[in-house]
Amino acid sequence: MKDLLKKAAIVGIYQTAQTRAFGRRSSEMFIEVVKGVLDDAGMSVKEVDGLIGPNPLATEGEARGFPSTAFSEFFGTHIRYTQQTPAGTQTGSMGVLHAVEAVAAGLAQAVIVPNVGGREGPGVVGRDEWESPYGLPRVAYYGMMARKHMAEYGTTSAQLARVAVIARKHAALNPAAVMHSRGPITVEDVLDSRMIYDPLHLLDCCIVNEGAGAVLVTTAERARSLKHKPVHVLGLAESFAIMDLYNVPSLTATDGRGTGQDAFAMAGVSHADIDVAQISDHFTINPIIELEDLGFCKKGDGGPYVESGVLELGGKMPMNTNGGYLSHSHSGGPGIYDIIELVRQLRGEAGARQVRNASVGLFHGVGGMFNSAHTAILARE
Amino acid sequence: MTQYQKPLPEPSSLTQPFWDGVKQHKLLVQKCSSCSKLRHTPKPLCPHCLSQEFTWAPLSGQGQLYSYTVMHRSPAPSFDGDLPYVVALVELKEGIRMISNLVHCPLDKVRVGMPVKVVYEDVTKEASIFKFAPA
Repeated sequence: MKDLLKKAAIVGIYQTAQTRAFGRRSSEMFIEVVKGVLDDAGMSVKEVDGLIGPNPLATEGEARGFPSTAFSEFFGTHIRYTQQTPAGTQTGSMGVLHAVEAVAAGLAQAVIVPNVGGREGPGVVGRDEWESPYGLPRVAYYGMMARKHMAEYGTTSAQLARVAVIARKHAALNPAAVMHSRGPITVEDVLDSRMIYDPLHLLDCCIVNEGAGAVLVTTAERARSLKHKPVHVLGLAESFAIMDLYNVPSLTATDGRGTGQDAFAMAGVSHADIDVAQISDHFTINPIIELEDLGFCKKGDGGPYVESGVLELGGKMPMNTNGGYLSHSHSGGPGIYDIIELVRQLRGEAGARQVRNASVGLFHGVGGMFNSAHTAILARE
Repeated sequence: MTQYQKPLPEPSSLTQPFWDGVKQHKLLVQKCSSCSKLRHTPKPLCPHCLSQEFTWAPLSGQGQLYSYTVMHRSPAPSFDGDLPYVVALVELKEGIRMISNLVHCPLDKVRVGMPVKVVYEDVTKEASIFKFAPA
């Protein structure tokens, strides 16, 4: 499978300004990312024959039902391959992996994966009859996960806070991060911020912002004559097992156990080979649970692990070097920014936050309330 | 009496018997007629044996606090007056888990694993909801 996947390459990345000022039209951001990602790759839109994702230009009349056809018309190309990948915040990143699969299988020559997001975030009342009578916004589930992890493993608020501190440290080195100009924060800053979903403080929660991004995937052959060194996906896996959290065996473990194992096995690399990682951090508890599930530390040891220094720039495997959802961006399906950041790192274009000689990167994302999980291992050629 | 402002359950035909049970101060869950396993929330088929036949079985209402979060920010103005309040994930003796509120418990006494029991609130003439309190 690895050899098959290597027939495809990620050749273009682009993101708009990520901003807390809302108001740009999604159609305008969409046009920007489509043009931007083509320019980054050095490809013409005429070469694009695949679209995975939404098309906010197709909002009226018949076009609404045919977003890919409308894409062909608006951009003067001919889409011959399309699909949707609904997976919450991981919609875009999962789309990239499916684009790699499609190109590797020879179903498309060049697939564009756009992702556009406006205001969306914590605080929306659960619309579900099981939750809304009790004043539970779905995201507050993460408060229950954190509380359970604390009760089972002795994880502390200071350890949760450390995840936010690392994210901000990295965001302070990334001018594109929403919280870049706010500068670094300390564990005390997190603990002193106001309580939202106890034990999660304000600074334990991701930011709410606007922005868009896109990734372009084409054949390894075409990639050889493009602007940048191609990045390949060596291994990937996804899982959609949990809908109701009432029915999960554990609130402190996710499908990541399976997707991690499978992705590592497919890629033929080990944990020690990972130079840089993007781990979805909607809330500070998430990376703690996800890193355990992926096997970077023992189940329950995620707290001490995030305090060990391994995950910070200068450490063995820096995590969320763009600032993560906590400090870089959580717009739309922010998993797309995880892929974009890994590609930057693997190209060696990450500026002040560059991980030296980064050659293998790991992405792991959960969508919804652990309703999906997927893992991918990327490498430069 | 002021009108009840919070969201009320809007049952589907599948979930109506559950909420009818709550109205009668009972916790009813689906019991598979084929393999006898209990399930919640209501589903059209049993995930263990795929049988579509089921009956409604009453639960004890006794359980433990599986986990919880204390809400310091409300999702809708109708909950503002309750802040801070406890959203609970309760594991009933029968192994079924339910989302609810923990009531009649000072915040500093809330612990994962504490024994709880169901209580009912008849919030309007037509609707009742279930909550949990320390056992």
